[in-house]
Amino acid sequence: MILLQVVVGGLLLGAVYALFASGLTLIWGMMNFINFAHGEFVMLGMYVALVVTWIHGGPEVFVPIAMVALFALGVCVYFGLIKHVTRGPMLAQILSTFGLALLLRYSAFAYFKADFRTLPESWLSGTLNIGGIFVQNSKLVAGVMAALLTIGMHLLLTRTALGSRLLAVSEDRSAAMLMGIRPDRMQALAWGFSAASAGIAGALLAIGFPFSPEVGATYALTAFVVVALGGFGSVPGAGIAGIIIGLVDQISAYELGPIYKDVVVYGLFVAVLWVRPQGLLGKF
Amino acid sequence: MKARPGPIALWALLILFPLLVSLSDSAPFFEDVGATLILAAIGASAWNIVGGYAGQVSVGHAIFFGAGAYVPLLVFSLWEVPPLAGVPLAMLVAILFAVAIGLPSFRLTGHYFSMATIAVAELVRLVVSNWELLGAAIGMQGPATPRGWWDLIFRSSVPYYYIFLGVLACVIAITWALERSRFGYYLRAIRAGERAARSLGVPVLRTKLIAFMLSAALTAVAGALYSIKIGFVNPESGIGILVSVQMVIIAALGGAGTLYGPLIGALVLIPLQSATNTLFGGGGSGLTFIIYGGIILLLARFEPGGLIELWQRLRAMVLGRFSRGAVDAA
Amino acid sequence: MKKGNFLSAVLVAATLAAGPALAEDVKVGAIYPLSGNAASAGKSELDAIALAVELVNGTYPDLVSLPSVGKGGLSNLGGAKIQLITADHQGKPEEANSQTLRMITQDKVAAMIGAYHSNVSFTATAVAERQGIPFVVGDSVAANIMTRGFKWVVRVTPIASDFAKNYMEYLQDMKKAGRKVETVAVVHENTDYGVSIGGTVVEQAKSHGFNVIADVAYNANSTDVSAQVLQLKEKNPDCVVFVSYTADAILYMKTMKSLDYLPPMIIGDDAGFADPAFVPAVGDLAQGVMNRSAWAVGKPGSVTYRINELFKAKTGRDLDDTSARGLQAMLVLADAINRAGSTAPDKIMAALKATNLSQDQVMMGYRGVKFDERGENTLAATYLVQLQGKEYVAVWPEKSALAPLQWPMKGWK
Repeated sequence: MILLQVVVGGLLLGAVYALFASGLTLIWGMMNFINFAHGEFVMLGMYVALVVTWIHGGPEVFVPIAMVALFALGVCVYFGLIKHVTRGPMLAQILSTFGLALLLRYSAFAYFKADFRTLPESWLSGTLNIGGIFVQNSKLVAGVMAALLTIGMHLLLTRTALGSRLLAVSEDRSAAMLMGIRPDRMQALAWGFSAASAGIAGALLAIGFPFSPEVGATYALTAFVVVALGGFGSVPGAGIAGIIIGLVDQISAYELGPIYKDVVVYGLFVAVLWVRPQGLLGKF
Repeated sequence: MKARPGPIALWALLILFPLLVSLSDSAPFFEDVGATLILAAIGASAWNIVGGYAGQVSVGHAIFFGAGAYVPLLVFSLWEVPPLAGVPLAMLVAILFAVAIGLPSFRLTGHYFSMATIAVAELVRLVVSNWELLGAAIGMQGPATPRGWWDLIFRSSVPYYYIFLGVLACVIAITWALERSRFGYYLRAIRAGERAARSLGVPVLRTKLIAFMLSAALTAVAGALYSIKIGFVNPESGIGILVSVQMVIIAALGGAGTLYGPLIGALVLIPLQSATNTLFGGGGSGLTFIIYGGIILLLARFEPGGLIELWQRLRAMVLGRFSRGAVDAA
Repeated sequence: MKKGNFLSAVLVAATLAAGPALAEDVKVGAIYPLSGNAASAGKSELDAIALAVELVNGTYPDLVSLPSVGKGGLSNLGGAKIQLITADHQGKPEEANSQTLRMITQDKVAAMIGAYHSNVSFTATAVAERQGIPFVVGDSVAANIMTRGFKWVVRVTPIASDFAKNYMEYLQDMKKAGRKVETVAVVHENTDYGVSIGGTVVEQAKSHGFNVIADVAYNANSTDVSAQVLQLKEKNPDCVVFVSYTADAILYMKTMKSLDYLPPMIIGDDAGFADPAFVPAVGDLAQGVMNRSAWAVGKPGSVTYRINELFKAKTGRDLDDTSARGLQAMLVLADAINRAGSTAPDKIMAALKATNLSQDQVMMGYRGVKFDERGENTLAATYLVQLQGKEYVAVWPEKSALAPLQWPMKGWK
């Protein structure tokens, strides 16, 4: 029974990782660009949710607002910064989003202070008891959203004209331009989608998780591992890798002890990378 | 090397720096910042060999830094010998790590290599934080009070400054020699394109591995100097991801794959860190990192090639005005 | 050219940081984490220390029972005021070294106080030792800070072994009173704070005859703690001791509720359980949680009540134990400077070593302040408090109890 609970916990945690990573893999795969500020996008999503609760909005209000706000931020970041460094050396890209991460984190710090925050109770705060297995509502919703988002983004990329244009730009920028696609617009859209998914992730996580401006860094490293394990740019890969990491995380924490779970997660990751360098679903 | 005024002036200033600041009544603080700066330049220059010249962006150099920081304190805690005696062993450990990590990881390219190095570094950090012999999460300490000069514990930062400067000169000299050698051409060929390099007969894996080992050994020296000066190391300050990131940031900021890039990066970044923290840190408003992050962002946005490119452009402009002749491409 | 920029930048920094100063002011340097993970705690403690300085500099007729407080400055130095110089160590030992050195050599502080993180206190005290400046450790509890034979360091706070002994004596009392306390679980975060206290608690539990059935270390950055809670649920100990930071402490309470597991008693070791964010976030779930605290607000009209009112007026929240320990350390330092009647470091250090305060001369629940040859406060003590309603109230030992103890804890039920 308890093991079943551990597995359910792992699945739910995996969904959270998947939610976090899907936006990251979009940018990584499409533009070959590592966004070190992705954790900060998630953090901002949490604070958007906090501000909305001040004016008495529940999750049904703050999740969409966080999504829209972060979409706008993503587009602004693209035009203000990313556009100008995207064809520069990889190191300049690392520098730019590293600087952006510090700037965003400490801007939030200056305004909201360092204090830990939690959202007030809402209709999503409770716990479901399914035959002795406990499931937190907020995590369940996060899991469902993660699945929807992963599937939605995958369909968007593979089944729609917009998706084809997005992929065309990532395959060959100049050829896409010859086809009459405006790469800037497409890539700005990709940044918008990526940031919006981070906003949703943040708003959902904030329901059950205490946060401060430093919280982005807590998730970021695991998210990178999830993305690389799934294969860069593979949205379904990020989903599957998220679940795997979530399960491994919980089971090893339960069986071996919580300090060894990260050892197992990173060890597994390194092993997979050495055996299958392109990740689980990566094309290479 | 042709005698060029830029580097000579730079070295002269570095050598005279403690004398220059000794006039200020805050000399000890400036000297300490100076020593920190040179140490950061050593680490970034060591990283530069594999990260800059060979274009293999390792974000796991904290492993080598950590090996350098831990081994001297370990030999001290085991046998009470001066930490300095552990430096050769530290370099050896770092080289072994480099082989163990490099052999499987060098099949990976680009971001995959970076991710693999991050993950291995995190693994090592986690293992060390649970390893009693290495002080686990609490960390290791050096001698509390000096037993002789060989413990390298000084009240002033000036001796550290000159020791570090000497080591930096060696690292830059090694890099300089490398730059001119056949090996250096191999490295740059690999950075330009691995497949093309292989087709030209460059032994790619061997070259990358040797560069990695050399870089690791020199990074370990930086780590050893750190722990000898601070007298303490814990998993976060020795093997934390920020240790790796700092090396990358400094080299990228100054200009990766250039001889003086890392030093220039350190000359800008370390005083910037120190000044923003001194000015704004005490207020606790977060302004330190808003300004620090903002400046890094702006530099990346407007000078993606690093500060050394800006310097070269300025120099070309000035020279062009005087001679209109061909500009010596550095 | 590059060098010139660097120098001028740092020189500007230097002049601005020094600021305007009155000639007779006594400068004290305070170094705390004001950015990074522990910024919340560091800022709160610095606020408390700033309040201590105000108490010394200002006129507070109702607080004069505390030595050197409320008399409008340091009387033995002609009413000189204390000027607080603050710095951020960002949680990094090397930054702490550099900023400590700056405050000592550039600001010419007469003494130092710090530094929250044990490892940072460890290295910053070494700088003060080499420079010959007194360093008062207000809050860091790791043992190794004081075992190096340093001459310039004193520590006011009780330390790990004191707390651990208190917890076990409390549990023995409960056992004597007929409650079932056989098994104990210890859950601690895995940095120097959690490891040093967690380890000591396990040791003491064994030597007090309890059966330690789980000793769980975890990473404070964990995003999920359900596996640990399930482990506890399975082992079902009579009491769980948590050594946790803020986010994880809140997460544990929430996760225990959602997995429907409540042990008969939880002892939270200060830090996370004492964070101002803890009670608003999970106070409703954590009814009856025990915590250590050397600080109690006390009854209206008391000295402690008044100090809490002043802190509240300044920051909008109640004084917590960690910050209060910092405040007390600053008052001890101020008193030593006053008794030294001088800003010379060696005189201040001698006065610090000679400190001998009785129970009613301190605001904390210590039996007083008196340092042994190592610099540890031999009279340091703590009591145990229990979360009842929105506040922690003192419940143990019985003589200082303000409310009856509840066992088992109610939690959310």
